[in-house]
Amino acid sequence: MSELTGKQRVQKLFKREPVDTMPCFSGQGAVVVQAIEKMGTQFAKIHTDANLMAQSAITSARLFNMDGIVIPYDMAVVAEAMGRGISLYDGADGIIYPTVPNKWKTLDEIDIPEDYMSRGRLPMVDEAFKIIKEQAPDLAIGAWVLGPFTLAGQIMELDILLKGLKKNKDQTAAFLEQVTQVTIDMCRHYQELGVDFISVREMGSGTDLLSPRMWKTLIGPNLKKVFDSITDTPSVNHICGSTDMIIEMMHECGATALSVDQKNNVAETRKKLGNDVLLFGNFDPYNTLVQLEDVAEVEAVIKQCIDNGLDSIWPGCDIWPDIRMENMETYVKTVREYGKKPSPAVGRI
Amino acid sequence: MSTQEEILAKLIEAVVEYEEDDCADAAQEALDAGIDPMVAVMEGLAAGMERVGVLFDTNEYFVPEVLMCADALYKGLDILRPHITLDADIPKASVVIGSIQGDVHDIGKNLVKMMFDVAGWDVHDLGRDVPLETFVEKQLDVKSDVLAMSAMMTTTMMGMKKVIAMVKEKNPDCLIMLGGAPVTRDVANLFGADGYAESAGNAVSEGIKMIGRLREYQKGDIK
Repeated sequence: MSELTGKQRVQKLFKREPVDTMPCFSGQGAVVVQAIEKMGTQFAKIHTDANLMAQSAITSARLFNMDGIVIPYDMAVVAEAMGRGISLYDGADGIIYPTVPNKWKTLDEIDIPEDYMSRGRLPMVDEAFKIIKEQAPDLAIGAWVLGPFTLAGQIMELDILLKGLKKNKDQTAAFLEQVTQVTIDMCRHYQELGVDFISVREMGSGTDLLSPRMWKTLIGPNLKKVFDSITDTPSVNHICGSTDMIIEMMHECGATALSVDQKNNVAETRKKLGNDVLLFGNFDPYNTLVQLEDVAEVEAVIKQCIDNGLDSIWPGCDIWPDIRMENMETYVKTVREYGKKPSPAVGRI
Repeated sequence: MSTQEEILAKLIEAVVEYEEDDCADAAQEALDAGIDPMVAVMEGLAAGMERVGVLFDTNEYFVPEVLMCADALYKGLDILRPHITLDADIPKASVVIGSIQGDVHDIGKNLVKMMFDVAGWDVHDLGRDVPLETFVEKQLDVKSDVLAMSAMMTTTMMGMKKVIAMVKEKNPDCLIMLGGAPVTRDVANLFGADGYAESAGNAVSEGIKMIGRLREYQKGDIK
């Protein structure tokens, strides 16, 4: 549809340089069942095999003319590498994402192995990145990592962690610093792999769970360290859930772009942050791409997102893989056509 | 010696201020003073949790505080519950509760469970990451009045639909309650469920409000 490849379009977006039309990509999982079926495989198998992971990502992007891809698909990769195990649900009916079965139950038990980067599926994910780079050089390649607090909640019991924020402040803060270093190491690793952007998803830290005051003291400073460490690659600070009360603090963390879900009042956020900030989001992926039965409604949702002042229209969370084809097509088509006009932070060629 | 009113106020304060030891002490004091333990549970512990709900709704308390309040409540409940005498003529209500397969989160589930514990129901807690067939088997086995399922993530909630269909087919009278972040009222209706809690925050809020309804019921305000 234009002279720009998806990769170029996304690269320009992150530099806030003019593009031909709004890029359509995601920092959240965007693998779809139609791609998996086309490959003749199963959802449970694409998490453990580098080639299946790479091909499912590429095929999903190609099916809908997306500008980029992002892997891996599940949140359990790092926790598994730390020895917390993995539940793959390979015998289960339908789509279930891998989870962590054996979280640490107390702060005293935590023992992060030094060589975690070479354990579990992490080397396999690296291999998948290599395949994608070779086979889809025209697509923007995204890596994503969990933010320190959310990663902490993957490796230890979340209720213990949450209570620890109040009951054992010093010990919990020290643990979060330790996990922050893991997130930083992962980001450095993905920079070295040469990805086009890194999305840091601190999805468990919205004000549905934590107070803005707690966010300011325990979440924000660690996220800032993470974004300070990402020096050579564009970065995205994504938080789902309620973010209106923390959006300014999110901005102060220093990511190249911010990403929010449907709970954020984007029009208000744009007013708060001004037009120079790259802002991505914020449609409800399940409702928009799976549930809506009229593509006109999908089109209206996407147009509203653009009108609210976003620079790229992202799903607020992972795309639920069992999308309706026509809804996904309408999402991409609307972004392309209605996104021809400049967005607040990015002009048009 | 403190009056009943004063002891109930201590229970309320201990829950609101998440003081576990104070809650246990006040519960023991209630027993020693001859206060009906059911009154101590409902007008002390549950009333305290209702206030916590207000603090949560007004953004004064967040989930860490609510979890600690729940811990304090259970300290008191553990002391009071063995002393509650049940009317043998009235069958005890029961619930099967758990987080659906693929979901390893159980905070919302545990807060809703607390509501049933406070009300004195028989609670069959299946835990988290529960296979679909386990929900169905357990519900049919114990013939619970309510089946409560939680899914914190969009990616796990589809399983609920299957469980509801299986249970409703064999036991249409069972009330089904859904909770968890991605389950909207529309989805609950679509799945054929009888109740829902909209979000993680709302699961907390709704769970606490249900305690309020039970307290009203105890007082005979609603029929």
